[in-house]
Amino acid sequence: MSKIKITVLMLVAIIIFLSALFIGPRIINPFRMGDMEKEILFSIRFPRVVVAILVGMALGASGAILQGVLRNPLADPYILGISSGASLSAAFALLSGIYSFGRFTIPLTAFLGASAVSVLVGVFGWRRGGLWPERLLLAGVGLSFLFHSVLMLLMSISTDEGLRRAVLWIFGDLSMADWSLIPYGLVFIVSGLIISVSRSKALNALILGDEFAHSLGFSIHKERFMLFISMALMTGASVSLGGTIGFIGLLIPHIMRFVAGADSRVLIPLSAIGGGAFLCLADLIGKSIMTPMEIPSGIITAIIGSPYFLYLLRRKDVLSI
Amino acid sequence: MKRIANRRGYSIFAYHILSLLLSLVTCHLSLVTSIYAETPARIISLAPSMTEILFALGLEERIVAVTSFCDYPEEAKKKPKIGGMSNPSLEAVVSLKPDIVLMTTDGNPKEFEERLRSLRIKTYVFKQRRLSELPQGIREVGSVLGVKDKADLLANEIETTINKLKTQNSKLKTQKKKVLFIVWPEPLIVAGPGTAIDDAMNLLGYENIASKAKTTYPKYSIEEVIHQSPDVIFIGKGHVNMKEVSNSILKRIAKVPAVKNGAVFYVSDNLYRLGPRVIKGIEEMAECLK
Repeated sequence: MSKIKITVLMLVAIIIFLSALFIGPRIINPFRMGDMEKEILFSIRFPRVVVAILVGMALGASGAILQGVLRNPLADPYILGISSGASLSAAFALLSGIYSFGRFTIPLTAFLGASAVSVLVGVFGWRRGGLWPERLLLAGVGLSFLFHSVLMLLMSISTDEGLRRAVLWIFGDLSMADWSLIPYGLVFIVSGLIISVSRSKALNALILGDEFAHSLGFSIHKERFMLFISMALMTGASVSLGGTIGFIGLLIPHIMRFVAGADSRVLIPLSAIGGGAFLCLADLIGKSIMTPMEIPSGIITAIIGSPYFLYLLRRKDVLSI
Repeated sequence: MKRIANRRGYSIFAYHILSLLLSLVTCHLSLVTSIYAETPARIISLAPSMTEILFALGLEERIVAVTSFCDYPEEAKKKPKIGGMSNPSLEAVVSLKPDIVLMTTDGNPKEFEERLRSLRIKTYVFKQRRLSELPQGIREVGSVLGVKDKADLLANEIETTINKLKTQNSKLKTQKKKVLFIVWPEPLIVAGPGTAIDDAMNLLGYENIASKAKTTYPKYSIEEVIHQSPDVIFIGKGHVNMKEVSNSILKRIAKVPAVKNGAVFYVSDNLYRLGPRVIKGIEEMAECLK
């Protein structure tokens, strides 16, 4: 059963990927492309679609991991404050106008911010030789509030036009995607995915409780640490590639659980595929419905995703992580 | 006798009432006229464009405070600040006891004006948003602030420039060249319809490719820029070195005629505010387009 569902999902993902390439503000006919069409396709659309898929995959998978590790259905990759740390450092760079690394400046500062916060959350969540879910969660919420308020402070006292840029960046912006950043994002996100999939069995055990996992022979602290690292790598890379994009990390894992069950070995890859395809679709809609204007994809993801989620919620009897 | 006295009493009473009413009316009338007749000595400006107009009208001495966004001319920075455009401090404004507070519909919250009025602080709201409406707006400000002559002078100067360009370019009936004005390159934000920049392009006989967007400063699709292939690109001044920041976007649209033919111009921020500097801004653009 789930094999059929997975095949259908893959097919849908491929269709979305192709339509994101050839539909768009203007339709490109793949068999009759002029110079202009070729340029738009290869240097503008293709990298953007790839970035959307990467970011969506990272968020979907991190959401699935985090909900399991924290044993909390409300967890998403942003709950640990990683995104607010990234937003703060990126906004700082945008407002102060430091551009020492050219076009890499904002992604780099965002990634540094995300990594710094991951380390901080790890430090606060660490006790007696390991990471503890409740501590992680509370440390994340606390840090989130702190960074968020500092960000608001920066924005309310800033007087120049850097402000609107910062807001647009925080809402999630894929329009500046180009090939130069993709290799770096790819390395982080793929290694995060590999780590998490290889630890998915342990995640299944951890969801059922530490004692249970221990009795099955898993080293709970080591497994949790590895899962945390994989999540931090993916979330940090995704925020630096595309800003903060809501909904995907929280609700795609739930939707996939409704569709294919709660086994992490299936759930993590499915959440990745679902997240990638979904962000790709949302970005396609965002850049096409009000041409020549663009609507940030983070807004579209929530507008079209939430009703579907609520519909599934109505239909399901049992809820699980 | 008594009745007569009584009647006289009535008439005296009526006369008193009448005169009281009359005096009330005249008093009210004088109040109404005083709003515009008495020149306000303490002015607060809640918008950078208003500050620039005030300086251009030679009212520097009478400005008691401006917003933290008011950075032109240089002297404006030295004036006391009452907060930002969208979030000015009510206490700061009230404590400065202004005779009048100047606001715009473009950036100041409407509720703030209502609060000020409920506190019996006089306000003047500048409603003009288009280039063609600017001279009229300046004249109105001038008559409210009692500097009608100077305002007329400034307004006429702007009007003459606009009219001169209008007649010059109405003769050009050839294919209009396409222009794009980039306000910020990453993410791409451009000047859309309803801005002084859009008006200036039309005046100069050029077509703003972003004029079909739905907001004044839209986030614009890069694909569309390539499709519409502008002949000229302007990049406005920002808080950082725009040449550095715009490098990557220009590379991405390298095949567009404007970039290919080297028709990319870095210009000042003169046209960002609907104030006295617009003429300079238009002339600067015209100079580039020659």
